[in-house]
Amino acid sequence: MICRRICRRNPWSFSHWWRSVYPATTPPSAAAWADARRASSGLGFLARAQPNIFVNRRTFSLFQSHHEGDSLSIQFGTRGCNFTTHALGDSPIGGVVDVPLAQTGEGIAECELLKWFVQEGDQVEEFQPLCEVQSDKATIEITSRYRGKVSKVLHIPGDIVKVGETLLKMVVDENAVSDQCSETLEVIKVHDSNTSEVDVTDSGPKKAKIGGALSTPAVRNFAKQLGVNIEDLHGSGKEGRVLKEDVLNYAAREGILKESSVSSDDSSADEYLERDQKLTEVASTYGREYDDRTVPLRGFQRAMVKSMTLAAKIPHFHYVDEINCDALVQLKASFQDENSDPGVKHTFLPVLIKSLSMALSKYPLLNSCFNEELQEVTLKGPHNIGIAMATPHGLVVPNIKKVQCLSILEITKELSRLQQLASANKLSSDDITGGTITLSNIGAIGGKFGSPLINVPEVSIIAIGRIQKIPQFDEDGNVYPASIVTVNIGADHRVLDGATVAMFCNEWKLFIEKPELLMLHMK
Amino acid sequence: MAVPQTRSMGLPLINLLRLKGAPILQQLHLEERLLRTSYDNWCIINDGTTKRTVVMGVSGKAEELLEIDSVLRDEIPVIRRFTGGTVIVDQGTIFVTFVCNKDAFPDLQSYPQPIMSWSSLIYKKVFQGIGDFSLRENDYVLGNRKFGGNAQSITKTRWVHHTSFLWDYEVSNMGYLKLPKRAPDYRQARDHLDFICRMKDHIPRSNFIERTIDAVGSHFVLRSVDPEASQSPLSSKFEPSSRLLKREELEEAIFNSRSRGACAASASQAS
Repeated sequence: MICRRICRRNPWSFSHWWRSVYPATTPPSAAAWADARRASSGLGFLARAQPNIFVNRRTFSLFQSHHEGDSLSIQFGTRGCNFTTHALGDSPIGGVVDVPLAQTGEGIAECELLKWFVQEGDQVEEFQPLCEVQSDKATIEITSRYRGKVSKVLHIPGDIVKVGETLLKMVVDENAVSDQCSETLEVIKVHDSNTSEVDVTDSGPKKAKIGGALSTPAVRNFAKQLGVNIEDLHGSGKEGRVLKEDVLNYAAREGILKESSVSSDDSSADEYLERDQKLTEVASTYGREYDDRTVPLRGFQRAMVKSMTLAAKIPHFHYVDEINCDALVQLKASFQDENSDPGVKHTFLPVLIKSLSMALSKYPLLNSCFNEELQEVTLKGPHNIGIAMATPHGLVVPNIKKVQCLSILEITKELSRLQQLASANKLSSDDITGGTITLSNIGAIGGKFGSPLINVPEVSIIAIGRIQKIPQFDEDGNVYPASIVTVNIGADHRVLDGATVAMFCNEWKLFIEKPELLMLHMK
Repeated sequence: MAVPQTRSMGLPLINLLRLKGAPILQQLHLEERLLRTSYDNWCIINDGTTKRTVVMGVSGKAEELLEIDSVLRDEIPVIRRFTGGTVIVDQGTIFVTFVCNKDAFPDLQSYPQPIMSWSSLIYKKVFQGIGDFSLRENDYVLGNRKFGGNAQSITKTRWVHHTSFLWDYEVSNMGYLKLPKRAPDYRQARDHLDFICRMKDHIPRSNFIERTIDAVGSHFVLRSVDPEASQSPLSSKFEPSSRLLKREELEEAIFNSRSRGACAASASQAS
């Protein structure tokens, strides 16, 4: 609700003024004047004051018959204004105005400033939100009464501001003074030689708003984004308002927007020519993209070339199996429900990692290192499980050290830490070396399963596909849904054989399908 | 901006959304989303939330409002919401929220006090013949005991007014809240338990909800909305500001308050 300010700048007429200041219910009659004159000497001033009333409007001595010699002197200015909830300072035309904290209603004395939506130098539109304040239990958006530019912000978030206190100073646009009384506007306009916008001989269609097309702030912003000068537009809305469609049509006509459809049927020759010209421009841009582009390999990509070349020497075999993840899904949901720390996000991976470590304890041959020259296998003590991560910089495999000593929560946190470092390209060399087995959760991106290549000098790698809900048959031939994930274990056939890998996978699968068994090994 | 059909028989239309046991953070996100991206009027009633949670106001300081040590020890989630006020909510809390356009009621000034008074008209009707209901400052009271706390957010074209009603509460939960520095006058330094009361001592739970819906119906034309329908994002770009505070933030608050206390102590020693 916008409250108007009614400003009376005209000199007060005598009768008007007389009614305002005379306290008696009836104005004095001529008889009363005569009586007064006959009364005590102290009242003699009244006769003399009469001419003063007309000359000096600033002070007026009030006559009251029962108080001899008493006089009340009321001072008042020549300018009177009735303010509503929007208190204003001086005339804001083209000058700096103090914008006070208002729009809070009765009964609120002060508010805390929560945040600014604008900063010094910003252009603001009428009704645009300036800031948010809080009083007691209410947060309130304070909007601008004017269109103008923020010249100085007087408070910072956290400050307590009294209602009526100035929040910020604004340089108000000349044509934002629609609320001013018209006579003042005209008076000042006549004297202001800077008003170039006041062009009385301006063409008809443009609306009365001096120097500006009528439109909403949103449409103005839109026009600005497209690089269209809104003043050039003819509005098709109510009262000649410029609408978004007007801006779009104008932009299209001026060729700012490329036409996406090529309909040659009803286009005139000129338009066709224009479109043809545009197409040749477009073609030349695209033409450039058909050239060859040479990219030197650096960083992670270079490392990948090296490791994959070495991996190509390993005789791989791949073992594939499906794992029922119903219990895993339930477990993750349970972790997430009881999670009170927003810094921790529970996923499937930590449980898979922990159960992998459990299975490795029983089949340590998968957590080993093969030395071709010496023809010996080193069974590694710690389970440093590497997690393949796709980052904007390429594929990287940091590892979580000594998983057998970590709890699932600790694994979750460590995984998150490594993921953040990886995406910021800030992994240390310690993070990416020393891995003993690798897990590739390609399912996070997509795919049913992959055939992964071993991360040298390890001897096995596990690729996990996406968990999918697929129908299964039970013993009675009934169909039931189950969350199934496909895993593919790539193994070095010089060290591992199919049987070992199959048994290992069965063990791992058991822990995933029955996670309660993990508790048997809890220390 | 499309102008929806907002008036029928002279009353504005309101979408009524009934939830039960919705998590409070989810409710706050929904409210903020409806405030900022919807053009309709909404009344949301959430009959109890799932888990006991502390909800703090937008500018509330944890060290002043909460017994942080206990909150951390018992792992109570703390949410900072987009309106003001502090409350501890659980299954015994009933939430009623109004999200309205400023022009739903052209005669209603969209400032905190007028909206507060308007809302009290609705509840006055609910408690007619049941209890000595009144609005005191920002609280709904029966007699001189608070049973409902209010908070608001007012934007350029819309406002939200939401209430947490104490249908029932656990005495132990009140131990997580400190006595607030800024308290309404009528509280008169009363302890939590002497200041609040249980709505269940006055009215059955379902009765309260039904009577509230009836009272809302006297100011609006009601249209029931399916909870699933309201979950679909009206504007995918919207980011709600209510959030769960991290453990580190609460620990930092304790640290700040202790170091401030230590400074004050040493300053007084020095002088």
